[in-house]
Amino acid sequence: MDPYSAEGELINIHNHFHQGQYQAVVDFDTSALSPDNALPARVLQLRARVALGQAAAVLADVKGEGAAPELEAVAALAAHALGKTEAAVKAVERLAVVAGDNATVQTLGGTVLQAAGRSEEALAVLGKHEGNLEAVALVVQIHLQQNRNDLAVKEVAAARRWAQDSLLVNLAESWVGMRLGGDKYQQAFYVFEELAQAPATTSVRSLVSQAVAELHLGRTEEAQAALEEAMKKEPGNAEAIANLLVLSVVTGKDPKELTSTLQKTAPQHPFLSDLAEKSELFDKAATKYKAKVAA
Amino acid sequence: MQASSGMLTKFESKSSRAKGIAFHPKRPWILVALHSSTIQLWDYRMGTLIDRFEEHDGPVRGVDFHKTQPLFVSGGDDYKIKVWSYQTRRCLFTLNGHLDYIRTVFFHHELPWIVSASDDQTIRIWNWQNRSLLCTMTGHNHYAMCAQFHPKDDLVVSASLDQSVRVWDISGLRKKHSAPTSMSFEDQVARANANQTDMFGNTDAVVKFVLEGHDRGVNWVAFHPTMPLIVSAGDDRLIKLWRMSETKAWEVDTCRGHFQNANGCLFHPHQELILSAGEDKTIRVWDLNKRTAVNSFKRENDRFWVIAAHPEINLFAAGHDNGVMVFKLERERPASAVHQNQLFYITKDKHLQSYLVHSYDFQKDAESPTLLNLKKLGSPWVPPRTLSYNPAERSILVTTTADGGSYELVNLPRDGSGAVEPTEFKRGQGNSAIFVARNRFAVLNTATQTVDIKDLANSTTRSFKAPVGTTDIYFGGTGNLLIITPTAVHLYDIQQKKTTAELAVSGVKYVVWSNDNLYAALLSKHNVTIVTKTLEQVSTLHETIRIKSAAWDDAGVLLYSTLNHVKYTLLNGDNGIVRTLDQTVYLVRVKGRSVHCLDRSAKPKVLLIDPTEYRFKLALVKRNYEEMLHIIQNSSLVGQSIISYLQKKGYPEIALQFVQDPTTRFELAIECGNLEVAVEMAKQLDRPKLWTRLSAEALAHGNHGVVEMCYQKLKQFDKLSFLYLTTGDNAKLSRMAKIAEHRGDFTSRFQNNVYLGEVEDRIQMFKEIDLYPLAYITAKSHGLDEECQQILEASGLTEEQLTLPKLGAPLTPPKPVVPTYKANWPTKATSASVFERALTGQLEGLTLEDEPSAAAATGFGDEEEGEAGGKRTSNLVDVEEEEDAAGWDLGDDIVPEVEEGFVNVETAEAGGAGSSEAEMWARNSPLAVDHVAGGSFETAMQLLNRQVGAVSFAPLKPRFLEVYQASKTYLPAAAGLPPLVNYVRRTVEELDPRKVLPIIPRDLETLAANDLQRGYDSMKANRLEDGVRVFKGILHAVLVNAVGSESEVAEAKKLITSASEYAVAMSIELARRSLGPQDAVNKNPQLLKRSLELSGYFTIPKIEVPHRQLALLNAMNLAMRSKNYNSALSFANRILANGGAAKILESAKKTKAQCERNPHDAVEIEFDQFAEFEVCAASHTPIYSGTAFEECAFDGSKYHTKYKGGVCRVCEVCEIGKHGSGLKLFA
Repeated sequence: MDPYSAEGELINIHNHFHQGQYQAVVDFDTSALSPDNALPARVLQLRARVALGQAAAVLADVKGEGAAPELEAVAALAAHALGKTEAAVKAVERLAVVAGDNATVQTLGGTVLQAAGRSEEALAVLGKHEGNLEAVALVVQIHLQQNRNDLAVKEVAAARRWAQDSLLVNLAESWVGMRLGGDKYQQAFYVFEELAQAPATTSVRSLVSQAVAELHLGRTEEAQAALEEAMKKEPGNAEAIANLLVLSVVTGKDPKELTSTLQKTAPQHPFLSDLAEKSELFDKAATKYKAKVAA
Repeated sequence: MQASSGMLTKFESKSSRAKGIAFHPKRPWILVALHSSTIQLWDYRMGTLIDRFEEHDGPVRGVDFHKTQPLFVSGGDDYKIKVWSYQTRRCLFTLNGHLDYIRTVFFHHELPWIVSASDDQTIRIWNWQNRSLLCTMTGHNHYAMCAQFHPKDDLVVSASLDQSVRVWDISGLRKKHSAPTSMSFEDQVARANANQTDMFGNTDAVVKFVLEGHDRGVNWVAFHPTMPLIVSAGDDRLIKLWRMSETKAWEVDTCRGHFQNANGCLFHPHQELILSAGEDKTIRVWDLNKRTAVNSFKRENDRFWVIAAHPEINLFAAGHDNGVMVFKLERERPASAVHQNQLFYITKDKHLQSYLVHSYDFQKDAESPTLLNLKKLGSPWVPPRTLSYNPAERSILVTTTADGGSYELVNLPRDGSGAVEPTEFKRGQGNSAIFVARNRFAVLNTATQTVDIKDLANSTTRSFKAPVGTTDIYFGGTGNLLIITPTAVHLYDIQQKKTTAELAVSGVKYVVWSNDNLYAALLSKHNVTIVTKTLEQVSTLHETIRIKSAAWDDAGVLLYSTLNHVKYTLLNGDNGIVRTLDQTVYLVRVKGRSVHCLDRSAKPKVLLIDPTEYRFKLALVKRNYEEMLHIIQNSSLVGQSIISYLQKKGYPEIALQFVQDPTTRFELAIECGNLEVAVEMAKQLDRPKLWTRLSAEALAHGNHGVVEMCYQKLKQFDKLSFLYLTTGDNAKLSRMAKIAEHRGDFTSRFQNNVYLGEVEDRIQMFKEIDLYPLAYITAKSHGLDEECQQILEASGLTEEQLTLPKLGAPLTPPKPVVPTYKANWPTKATSASVFERALTGQLEGLTLEDEPSAAAATGFGDEEEGEAGGKRTSNLVDVEEEEDAAGWDLGDDIVPEVEEGFVNVETAEAGGAGSSEAEMWARNSPLAVDHVAGGSFETAMQLLNRQVGAVSFAPLKPRFLEVYQASKTYLPAAAGLPPLVNYVRRTVEELDPRKVLPIIPRDLETLAANDLQRGYDSMKANRLEDGVRVFKGILHAVLVNAVGSESEVAEAKKLITSASEYAVAMSIELARRSLGPQDAVNKNPQLLKRSLELSGYFTIPKIEVPHRQLALLNAMNLAMRSKNYNSALSFANRILANGGAAKILESAKKTKAQCERNPHDAVEIEFDQFAEFEVCAASHTPIYSGTAFEECAFDGSKYHTKYKGGVCRVCEVCEIGKHGSGLKLFA
């Protein structure tokens, strides 16, 4: 039986992870799990710790252990998170050859490769999956990042056929929906809202997602409320700040304060780098024009 | 026909066979005539036996209440008709005359008559006022089993075992007995005699129709309340329906179904139904129009003998072998759901024979037209049970108990257009169905004990077993269900598929969530349990009377209705009555003073309540003193109950604020340790008992000042002395000694002297009272030998004659270490509550400041007022402008047409990255702003350059970046990867990627509403630097913007012009101010001239009139000061022509009067008040009409030709004199 299916042992820890409740994953009591599931649960916990910013500890944790490809993949992920991208990519490339059919290797390998900007290789690694929903979600995300909405739609539709009401499929579908717009905004909103508002499933990530959906739907007040709630839960959440920033610009407010907050908490955020790039572009473009007569 | 188990029994009594029943028309009472000769009076609502009447001999068969008088009538096997008063609880009189058992007795609805039917084959009409027999109707030739008056006409209908039903015309009887206008004595005699003869002549009551059709005896007959119909029940087991006209009567149809004698039948008072009861132990319900069986209720062991209907409300009663039962045919609770300001509810339409969905707007207090007709749902006689509303999809889930329970999912139309039958609906089997998320609903099937979670397409997405014995499900917060079993409530997490909490509460029937979804009230028949959203019990309360419904106040107070009250309960369980109810209502919402509810016929009603009491208690619990203060000051809350409540709840200090009565005040003050008040009250009352208590309390506080006063008042000298001793107040102690001496109280004097260590005085005192031995020994022990000697001499003794006890060291009185008496011990602070301080100290400040906030918090409904006031913030701009601004409704964005020859490139490719939406924007739109949002700054600049000759882009940078920043959101996705970038659209509904367009921050509407207003404000406040910045900002924002329609383009142009005029005007004035300080300018004729000119030019740009007035006023005053009376006069005239603010006009009038005396200018200036000119935005000099000029293609500011090619001074972006294709804001 699939341990991640609705009746499986790992459903809850798995859902926690994908709902962005990383602390819940770390705190999850794994002692009662059957031995088969111990390793997948551990991998999830390690990944959660990486997501929580404890990559160094994770790396140390898995260093001394044997050569389970899962743990090596986790090590690569942790290495990547620590900025050792090249080493991580190398490790993943090796793993993909040795254990390309391992689900964890696929997922984490795909993540590392995509994060390193090697989308095609990432898709190749992920493409080997057999019924791995995480891989599907990643493939969808990569397609979206490449602006290949058509492929993402196809991927989700295919997954929908064999994994009906799974969290990951719902999420992936919502991501695609957020890109497509129209009615899809509302549907995506439902998914995010359901996750964000139920106490058992809520997380900052879901709240931010909900807010983004609301922002796209033009419901700025609701978006504001959701983002503020997210900020209250985790003041330093870069996504929350970035989106709140966008929101305040949309609503015509002065975003200066938020910009500096974002600069402090997440100087690497794409919003900032993008903005700096555009600012430069502006200055360059503006030089082409000049008044005939100087004032 | 189905045998429904769903009989709604409201009351049952156990007794011997019940033969007659009558409902009281107003009170919840029922009279039951028993075979055992007793008549019982029950309160069926409370289930209590109110009284018993036992004067009949043998079985009692007929009873009836009088409609208005406190009377009832009964008839029994003792041939007697008795009329009773239930007030005095005794039989008033007996009507004798019948010669056999009496079967039924009924009052007439308006005349003082009683009709009776008897086994002596007669029907008799009696007058109960003069207690006489009016008429005996003969004709039946077997027992007369039942006789009733027609509810309106002068008719009587009777049933007899002779198998006939007879209708009698009694109009003759009425004529004879209606009050005559005047009557002589002879007439009266004649009348009395006629009466006599008529009794036998039978002219008063004649048989109108004889209805034959039953082939056995007829047991019961009844008129329809409004239609000319009769229903009868007979031993042939048939229920027959008859119709009559003026001239004839005939049988309409027969209802077959009873398999034993049918004993009773009646028409439903409000619905088109017939009810019958029989010895086959069933009560049957028939459709009046189709004469088909609708329902039947079977009783195990008891045969039914009689059935009766309540005249007003939907209640019935049936008498059987072992008592009576009171029951309802259907639930009367209207299915309803509340969403924000809307109530959705279901009513029954009598004519359509179906159920209709309505909505009601709380704020507008308006009902919608019918939204839907639920004809296809269930049966027309079984009302829908619940309604669940999904605001996202605007759909409803309706459940009904018909057909073993089913639900229907229907979409509501956008607006009601009458009773439309839904074209599309989804249905299924289930006992409860509720929405649990926007796109999911849960269905409980009690037979299989499963809960299915379904999506909107009605397909099951997941399914689980419900806990054993589940009876109902309710919404349990997002992603959760509340599962109700007879003994407990479970909180079930749908995703984790497990019960996360469980609470043992039995018999829960309804769940009501608070408005903030933090608390839920679980209602069972007699209990209200309040729980948190995690199912932790907060409080519970018990009601003896059935609880019907509940709704939450916004402040978190639960209001609930019982059968006869609206009550409240706070979260802590404090409860009380809000108001009484005349009839049962179902609360749906509480807002301020209004309680919205549905009555039993599903009509929305508003009950007004006084929420003061619970609001006060709530404020008390929350320690919200400001609000309490507000309530106290604004309502007449003070009452014994609230005081005792406060005292009981441990808030004596607050209760203190309400009480005037000094005794109570004293008690409360003592209780809360407020000595000040206690002293004040004690002084006022001046009773020893109070002083004693006060002294004890004060002593405990260490407030010896008060203690001292108490002792003084009480004249407790010894205690006082001791107090002085302990506080070390020697001065007062010696005074006490003096007082004691003065009083001649030697004990006290001695005591004080001991305290003081005053030996001499002590000796003196002993001597005074001839206690020489004591005086001597005192002197001796203190070594006062001289004194000893004197004593000895005085008493004539020598030292040798005395035997002295062994003397110790002399007593030394304690020396005070600290002068305690100077101040009270600071041991226990007097409790001056925040509240008290607020009440006494900062009274005015508090009330003034907190008025609005308190009002807002209490929601007393004055928000609207505040809003209206807020809008009226001293707006200089006149109304016309406001309307203009309001007119800039951007409305829906209209998608620009696709550019011709557009080819969708990227779909052709198979692999590789596609182009992002942002890139599409630039392709999709000819508007510069869309290019900016898409990050394509170069093309945007190109466009602007072509359109309006923009050349200097630096000032536009903030706007470019603003638009760009608003275009993208960051959606967190898989862990470890950067967030997904999505593009925010202003075309939210659009799906075609070739038509989507980006969102634009600060659109025209915002600019007009906010920025423009800010600009005006700075003009008004004379902050011109800010103003110029704001107006230039507006220009930049409009330059890079988009609008939704052609008409908005015009609005935008108007805004550009306006902003430009203001910018010019303000810079002229700023230029004048930069000439230097006024003194310096005045000294320099050149500067003065320029200054005066500029002040004149300042009045030229077309700015709003009130602002122009300011400019004119400024110019006028400057001109005045420089003795330019002619110019001043022209400015004054212009001011007066404009009208407006009285103050400005006043000063203009004065100036005008002054100037008219000497209309000459002292300083020659270049300002021709009669010429038409514009002001050059660069040089601030006039451009007279007719001269050549250049302008900015964007903002339209004018320049002398020499400035051509420079950058526009106003927008700072465009090149002066460069003409482009024109700004494009709408494609």
